[in-house]
Amino acid sequence: MASTDNQIIVVGRDPLPSVLHIEGGEELRMTIIVPEGVSCEKSMEIHLDGPGASLDIAGAWRCSSSERVHLQVIVRHNAPHCHSEQLFKGVVSGSARAEFDGLVYVAPGAMKTVAHQQAHSLLLSADAFCEARPQLEIYADDVECSHGATTGYLNPEELFYMRSRGIPEEEARAIQVEAFLAPVLNRLP
Amino acid sequence: MSDILLEIKDLHAGIEGREILKGVNLTIRRGEVHAVMGPNGAGKSTLSAVLAGRADYTVTSGSITYDGKDLLSLAPEERSWAGIFLSFQYPVEIPGVSITNFMKAALNARRKAAGQPELKPAEFLKLLKDKMALVQMKGEFAKREVNVGFSGGEKKRNEIFQMAMLEPTLSILDETDSGLDVDALRIVADGVNRLRTPRTASIVITHYQRLLEYIVPDVVHVLKDGRIVRSGGRELVDTIEKDGYDGIDG
Repeated sequence: MASTDNQIIVVGRDPLPSVLHIEGGEELRMTIIVPEGVSCEKSMEIHLDGPGASLDIAGAWRCSSSERVHLQVIVRHNAPHCHSEQLFKGVVSGSARAEFDGLVYVAPGAMKTVAHQQAHSLLLSADAFCEARPQLEIYADDVECSHGATTGYLNPEELFYMRSRGIPEEEARAIQVEAFLAPVLNRLP
Repeated sequence: MSDILLEIKDLHAGIEGREILKGVNLTIRRGEVHAVMGPNGAGKSTLSAVLAGRADYTVTSGSITYDGKDLLSLAPEERSWAGIFLSFQYPVEIPGVSITNFMKAALNARRKAAGQPELKPAEFLKLLKDKMALVQMKGEFAKREVNVGFSGGEKKRNEIFQMAMLEPTLSILDETDSGLDVDALRIVADGVNRLRTPRTASIVITHYQRLLEYIVPDVVHVLKDGRIVRSGGRELVDTIEKDGYDGIDG
């Protein structure tokens, strides 16, 4: 793995590697998309094996009917001075179910690790379900690690504001969903 | 085209089962600017919310006729297409949506509803630039996310910018002066004044007389405890300034 290009993986079209290794000084940039209508149960492990290895990964899913999406991402900081950034965003409606497990593991001796993980969901219907379980396991000192997970709903104030400007309700909702996913989707060419 | 643009008759409305408007009557003709003044809690914002079609407010009786139509039967977006514009007291932030895209969606939705083709990109950009100039907004403004990180003054200028873009027939300015310094107040008032036409009308809702020094109303109403207790010319503003709202009763 030596490429700094953005690898794009569309689940259902492209295989998702189960284990990846990033060597010292190398960089991996990856974007995972789970399109509407695709169910999956996937797990991926990414190892940062040498000093200065860096990972920038993002993922988005849009489940709108009865999809079942379960994604597990394990990031292992095995060496010092590595950096990982993770951003996952999902929109779930209908009776779909989306789960995300994210583990950041910092091995003993992997000091000066910088690891950030964000997992945010937007829940659009009462029958939909989503859950994000971020986890940190840190066995080294002098590291900077953070994780955040939120579940939100479309903001009715935003919706009314848009409608009051003449944007029909359905379109206003679509704009909100698009805006929510934009930080991930903007990484696509 | 009727001279009367808006007619509110015996309007009773409230929120969560609590009656706030207790029989409002108001007639607005084209070309007029009406000020609705009143103390906090009088029902000023309820009036603007009901006019714009906020779903959490319930109208229990009375009617609102706008341009010959039953306003209360229209969805908020339909009211916008019909020419109603509310300048929000608290403009809403829409993260991830640029002013450009927001306005493009708003204008094209309205054109679609009217059976017109979408604006060409060049036409849209020219319109955007012209209207931004009206409220003294610079180029990068259009790229910013709607109201995200805006100062109070920028938010209100953004409201007037949107008003200029949408060219409403009836504009409702809900406490547009709150949180504005004098410079921003002048810019906002100047924008509103330049948008005045003999065909359009405005309702200026305010607690203070300050904005009315810049946007001069034809008719002034005092709203107290859910009713309009007095209407008059602009001299009523001075009476309120001198005596406060306590001295005014129906």
